[in-house]
Amino acid sequence: MRQFYEECKQAVIKGDSDLAQRLATEAIDKKEPILDVIENGFVKGIEEVGRLWEDGAFFLPELVMGAEAIKKALSLLNPVLAEQQKRNFGKGKLVIGTVEGDIHDIGKTLVSTMLSANGFEVYDLGFDVGVDIFIEEASKRGVNCIATSALLTTTMQKQRKIVEALKERGIRKKFRVIVGGAPCSRRWADEIGADGYAKDAVAAVKLIGELIGGS
Amino acid sequence: MEPVLLGNIEIEIREVELLKILGSMGRAESWKGKGIEEKIERVLDRASNLIEPRGIYVITEGRKLGGTDIFNSLEKMAFSVCTIGERLEKEVGLLSRQDSILEAVLLDSAGSVAAEEVANYIENKIAEIATGEGKKISPRASPGYGEWKIANQRNLFELLPADRIGVTLASSMMMSPRKSISFAIHISETPVRLRGKNFLEKL
Repeated sequence: MRQFYEECKQAVIKGDSDLAQRLATEAIDKKEPILDVIENGFVKGIEEVGRLWEDGAFFLPELVMGAEAIKKALSLLNPVLAEQQKRNFGKGKLVIGTVEGDIHDIGKTLVSTMLSANGFEVYDLGFDVGVDIFIEEASKRGVNCIATSALLTTTMQKQRKIVEALKERGIRKKFRVIVGGAPCSRRWADEIGADGYAKDAVAAVKLIGELIGGS
Repeated sequence: MEPVLLGNIEIEIREVELLKILGSMGRAESWKGKGIEEKIERVLDRASNLIEPRGIYVITEGRKLGGTDIFNSLEKMAFSVCTIGERLEKEVGLLSRQDSILEAVLLDSAGSVAAEEVANYIENKIAEIATGEGKKISPRASPGYGEWKIANQRNLFELLPADRIGVTLASSMMMSPRKSISFAIHISETPVRLRGKNFLEKL
């Protein structure tokens, strides 16, 4: 099995979506233990992709290709896992969006993709998302985390509004709030009382994993 | 002078610039042979067909920009807004919705390179004008960087009828289409820095 897991891992590192899909299909056909295939194979691959990105060995397209490969595999494996173990492979649930007044989308979409690739259940609310929508969707979906993106110094103020609105409604402790986007920083997160700041998609996966992973 | 409109600007989206923006500089070339080169080639073609580069600029006194006095001492400045239009960003949105994230990221990045190239084109035009007068130009500076507050974006749009090139400004000071750039340049025999800690110091 170790060899098979290694092949799954390598498919993600190579960013080979076709191979990842073939290996996932093979695992299903051979009735392999799906959770083991995911955790010891594909997830090891995306973790390695993240590490290579952080080390500067991989550049953006390779990161995205790795994420797309594991997403393809998970789309086949998760329904089988749900049947076998009455659950999906998942590390936690969150909503993500770009704040109101800000129509930057692609960076947030990339973070969303990396989170899905790493086993998080992600509800992507898109861009220009109002404070109330963030909170209503987070409550409705039963998530543990609200991830907010802002690309302008003018729109980042909405991240503060989200934290304030959660406090006003007495539900601040129900959600972890994280901030990201060009003008944001750890200091900004501290200033507005958010739970964390992530500088890029890989950092967001780590941070959210620490905050809600396993929940 | 009256604002000058520039339509159908011809630019080239250079592969080297796209690779740079994607973070290839200084990284191992592990990406070669993964099919990325072909994808980049295709995206450059696709982007070239989707962009509609145009711009507008005006050359005037620094004090003509309302809402701020930071440029009041500068006798001659160029203010400009330029864009690649909205077709490319619509395509990026479509690709994102189809979960074709790699294509979306590549096309969006190609759009960013193209917008910079349009700004470079206008900067070169202004440099030609300056040279004709025996003057030089400063590097570009945009609202939101350094001393020039993002709120002054509104004043720049009062000075320039950017709607004539299809660029509008939201209350958040964000330009639409997204791949638009606004900037100022100082024209002088001794141009000064328009951003950074040595603001208004001679270059």
